[in-house]
Amino acid sequence: MVEISATTILSGAAESSIHGSIDWTQLDRIVLRPSPDVQGTTMDGETVLLDLSSGRYYTLNRLGSVIWEHCTGQNTMVDIHAVICDRFDVASERALGDLVDLANELVQEGLLQQERR
Amino acid sequence: MSMAEYRYSLYGTAVRYETDAPILAQPVNELLRHFRRENALDADAGLALRFYQVKDRAEIPLTISASARQLASGTGEAVGDRRATGLPYKVSVDQGLLIAEFHEIGVLAIDGAQGRADGYVINPERLPSNLIEYLFHLALIELLRRRDLYTIHATALEYNGRGVLIPGNSGRGKTTSFISLLRSGYRYLSDDHPLLQDSGAQVEVLPFPIKINVTDATVQFFPELKSASEQVLHPGVPKRFFYAEDLYQTAVGERCRPALVLFPHVVDSPKSHLELLPKSRALEALLPQALLVYDQEVARREFKVLAKLVQQVDCYRLHFGRDILDLPKLITPLLEKGR
Repeated sequence: MVEISATTILSGAAESSIHGSIDWTQLDRIVLRPSPDVQGTTMDGETVLLDLSSGRYYTLNRLGSVIWEHCTGQNTMVDIHAVICDRFDVASERALGDLVDLANELVQEGLLQQERR
Repeated sequence: MSMAEYRYSLYGTAVRYETDAPILAQPVNELLRHFRRENALDADAGLALRFYQVKDRAEIPLTISASARQLASGTGEAVGDRRATGLPYKVSVDQGLLIAEFHEIGVLAIDGAQGRADGYVINPERLPSNLIEYLFHLALIELLRRRDLYTIHATALEYNGRGVLIPGNSGRGKTTSFISLLRSGYRYLSDDHPLLQDSGAQVEVLPFPIKINVTDATVQFFPELKSASEQVLHPGVPKRFFYAEDLYQTAVGERCRPALVLFPHVVDSPKSHLELLPKSRALEALLPQALLVYDQEVARREFKVLAKLVQQVDCYRLHFGRDILDLPKLITPLLEKGR
């Protein structure tokens, strides 16, 4: 459902930091924001992200792009889940699973930072 | 040690090249022959490149500190240009200096902030001139991108003020499609690395005319190349080369707004056809042909320029069939549309 493809332009020696995974019990308190090292653009509903610290770039599909667009540091995971359910014809549980999976992946790749409110 | 000095001007950026070896001068003068300026330029404000010949690695006065950070290593594609494939390299950053080491060939030390690059080439007399050209070009494009002039690994043409870019790796029909358009009256911008500049309202493609390198297979597709004499189609290693103006009724084109980006690949089919690419896919395909992240802020700006370029053009995958000489019939209507 959520597709992310990654390609490396330059296999950097960037240190991989330790990023904790999303805590399912705290979804109403977790907010996500893009890492300052990420430059992105959305075209034709898909998002291309470049991680300037590693030289890797990524493409997010439509669902991934909507999730990314709402990771502004303002919305909680619960807020973003509500947006997905509203915008896509998808079962609530499935949407939540996809959201948490993608958020985990983006946090682990260092593209998103998570904060607890 | 006496140094010969050469001056060029690339779209307002003065470039001064100094070298202690004639063998290191010739390939650079060839590469920049359209940009040569004999008259005095304010070189202090421009870019300064110096290439030295050395006998071995030990003679290179460059020590890399323990704090140097390695960015990349491998074989072949150090920066943008893919012509010197198979070359082992290592790129690191040491106290703001970008250092590219090419095993047994030489070392480049690029100071982007100061607009300076020093190259040390080990026994250059044994190296093919295209390798020396490659090393110089690599240093030059790293400096130019800090002046907001970006290069892209593509061929480029102009037709009635509209640009066509054909990016891609070797062997995908890039040069063949380029020659097919060139011989039908398109004007020449670059065979391998045009420049891109954001002029504010739009991203423009700028000519970087160089000789056109062709494989024997490419030569066979075009009757005029097949029958060309050695005065026109010059012998060369690994590819033969010619100058566009020696063979075709063409001139160097003007800087222009790109209208089309074609990503070619050869298909076993009698007819070529085009497939419109979503813009995100096009950007994804363009990034490895242009962008390497050595300096974060420069890469950020370059990414924005590439994204802007993709937004303003139509992008197609060109499934390039056996009707090679008929390619203009497929492409020209796209450029005439909406004029």
